[in-house]
Amino acid sequence: MNDIRVDECACDGVGNAYRPWPARITSIQDLTEKEKLFELRLIDPEVREAFKFHAGQFAEISIFGVGEAPISISSAPSKQGFIELCVRNTGDVTGALHKKQCGDIVGLRGPLGRGFPFEQMKGNDILLVAGGLGIAPLKSLINHIHDERHEFGKVTIMYGAKNPGEVLFRHQFDMWKHREDFDLMLTVDESDDTWDGPVGVVTKLFDQVDVDPDCTYGAICGPPVMYKYVIEEMRKKNMDVDKIYMSFERRMKCGIGKCGHCGVGHQYACIDGPVFSYWEAMNLQEAI
Amino acid sequence: MFFRVVDKERLPDLIAGLSSDHEVIGPIEKDGRFVFAPISDPSQIRLDYDTTLLPPKKWLMPPEETMMHFNCADEEVTDDTVVASPRVLFGLHPCDINSLLLLDNVFLQGHVDPYYKARRDNTLIVGMSCTPSPTCFCNVWDTDEVHWGFDIFLTDLGDRYYASLRTVKGAEVLDRHVDSRAVTEKDTADFQQVVHEFKQGFSNNVDTAQLPVLLDAKFDSPVWDDFGSECLSCGACSMVCPTCYCFDVKDRLEVDQKSGARVRTWDSCQFKEFAAVAHGQNFREDRSSRLKYRYYHKYWGYLSKFERVLCVGCGRCTLACPSGISPVKVIEALQAGGSR
Ligand SMILES: Cc1cc2nc3c(=O)[nH]c(=O)nc-3n(C[C@H](O)[C@H](O)[C@H](O)COP(=O)(O)OP(=O)(O)OC[C@H]3O[C@@H](n4cnc5c(N)ncnc54)[C@H](O)[C@@H]3O)c2cc1C
Ligand code: FES
Repeated sequence: MNDIRVDECACDGVGNAYRPWPARITSIQDLTEKEKLFELRLIDPEVREAFKFHAGQFAEISIFGVGEAPISISSAPSKQGFIELCVRNTGDVTGALHKKQCGDIVGLRGPLGRGFPFEQMKGNDILLVAGGLGIAPLKSLINHIHDERHEFGKVTIMYGAKNPGEVLFRHQFDMWKHREDFDLMLTVDESDDTWDGPVGVVTKLFDQVDVDPDCTYGAICGPPVMYKYVIEEMRKKNMDVDKIYMSFERRMKCGIGKCGHCGVGHQYACIDGPVFSYWEAMNLQEAI
Repeated sequence: MFFRVVDKERLPDLIAGLSSDHEVIGPIEKDGRFVFAPISDPSQIRLDYDTTLLPPKKWLMPPEETMMHFNCADEEVTDDTVVASPRVLFGLHPCDINSLLLLDNVFLQGHVDPYYKARRDNTLIVGMSCTPSPTCFCNVWDTDEVHWGFDIFLTDLGDRYYASLRTVKGAEVLDRHVDSRAVTEKDTADFQQVVHEFKQGFSNNVDTAQLPVLLDAKFDSPVWDDFGSECLSCGACSMVCPTCYCFDVKDRLEVDQKSGARVRTWDSCQFKEFAAVAHGQNFREDRSSRLKYRYYHKYWGYLSKFERVLCVGCGRCTLACPSGISPVKVIEALQAGGSR
């Protein structure tokens, strides 16, 4: 027998699934004090070509010497060649990423996980509810719906942030306020003098909407405490348990179902999720 | 499957022969217990061992391994090859061979783990029959038998071995290194007798009926707090478990701070920070929820994906737990409904 080397047993055409690929930062936008929007472009054309994702999937960002962090892809799948990540500076990897400049290189692995059932959602009304940074994965879905707007009925977006300074993508949303094809509702927990919109938690906005439960899909992402209350409101509107989808954040290391860190009930958030239907989530212990 | 018979005196020939072009790992005695270790002399091997301190997973997913070397300046991977030298795991009991099959499901399905695969592909497995010990409960999971996942399996018939040859490789090395003969009716009758006696030897017959249902239905049972209050969260159960595969990943920089290695190490869901995320949130803050999660994953989470429980009943965790917690006790408590 001879020695076997990893590169010879590279499988299903992807090679070593743990290996990050170099990607160049092509733009950085300051969104708030803590969040920046990064646009990345994978350097190797073959890898770039192979990186096809769905809204709700994530990528592992790698900075060698620091580590890796799972980050939702916030651009739409229809935007080719570039990937946008909206990143909050909360620790080692995200902190190091925030120090990077345009033109710098980082590592990228993905796309990973199961996203929103976009095809299944077509032909229906959509109700999206985001809290805080939860807007990041939903933005991908929103933009994808935008690109294929004619495939959907009424689209309502509810987005709550702590205060006006923490509203992400405010510029885009300010422009969208006047659009007829999207019903955009923003709210903040605490207002200041730059704010003339509603004040209060995101669930308060439910009073203002009519939902047709027969043909409405829900999509939720936000801080863990938020899910229970949003689901309660959606259920009050008689939405089906298998038409409400949500994305979960768990600790992750490998992102490919091996390291065990992301366990939620009997599933792994990295490969079985991060997007689960409410029916699935109800069956996951400690999920909500 | 094909069978041959090998006289007991001839077994050292097989070990010596394998040693010529493989690293042979087998059970040896160490401070009154047994460990799997490289064998330099066939006489070191102790085929009468009960169980080893650490399971064979150590030789397929080492406690610490380098996944890749990198260069920080251009975020480039400089080397992610793993050199897996030809190796034999000699004398594995059925439970341990079954444990490798369970690890195969995780590491060889979906995204293939290239490090595990390289080693697995270059490891020859020689199994050995065993005698039930008081902590064994492989019988309840049917992992006291094994029908694939090895190259050769030797059943001890007293003065000779009944050798099952599962793979071409196994048949080849047996043929090359040791004198063997065809099986007679008497050999097969003796084999059956040995198996019959073996099956009578188990003392743990814990009732595992509807375990996944019980785990869900009794998720809030006080049983978990009872065991949780005694658990020290030391993670010893995971380290000695042949089927626990969780790992942590860390980057280590060289002194020049410009290059380094991404390294993975064994981890345990019993450690407090295992499920900690940003903003001080921890999905399993207290010990009882972590202990519960370990059982939940083994007897339901894994089962839901691979139709088998993630436990082979080897009893190592029972021996390793400083608080005397064992799967048998936990399952019995769940079946009983009350606390211990
Ligand atoms: C599917 C998914 C999608 C995500 N999408 C986004 C996104 O779009 N944008 C975004 O900004 N974030 C996102 N996250 C969250 C992000 O991955 C985490 O915040 C991640 O921890 C950041 O990595 P870091 O290295 O910067 O932080 P870390 O250095 O890991 O620290 C983050 C926090 O984790 C805790 N922590 C870390 N290690 C330990 C430990 N050993 N013990 C106890 N606590 C510890 C601490 O509270 C620390 O403050 C996502 C997560 C998931 C799972
Ligand atoms: S992140 Fe490793 S198993 Fe999900």
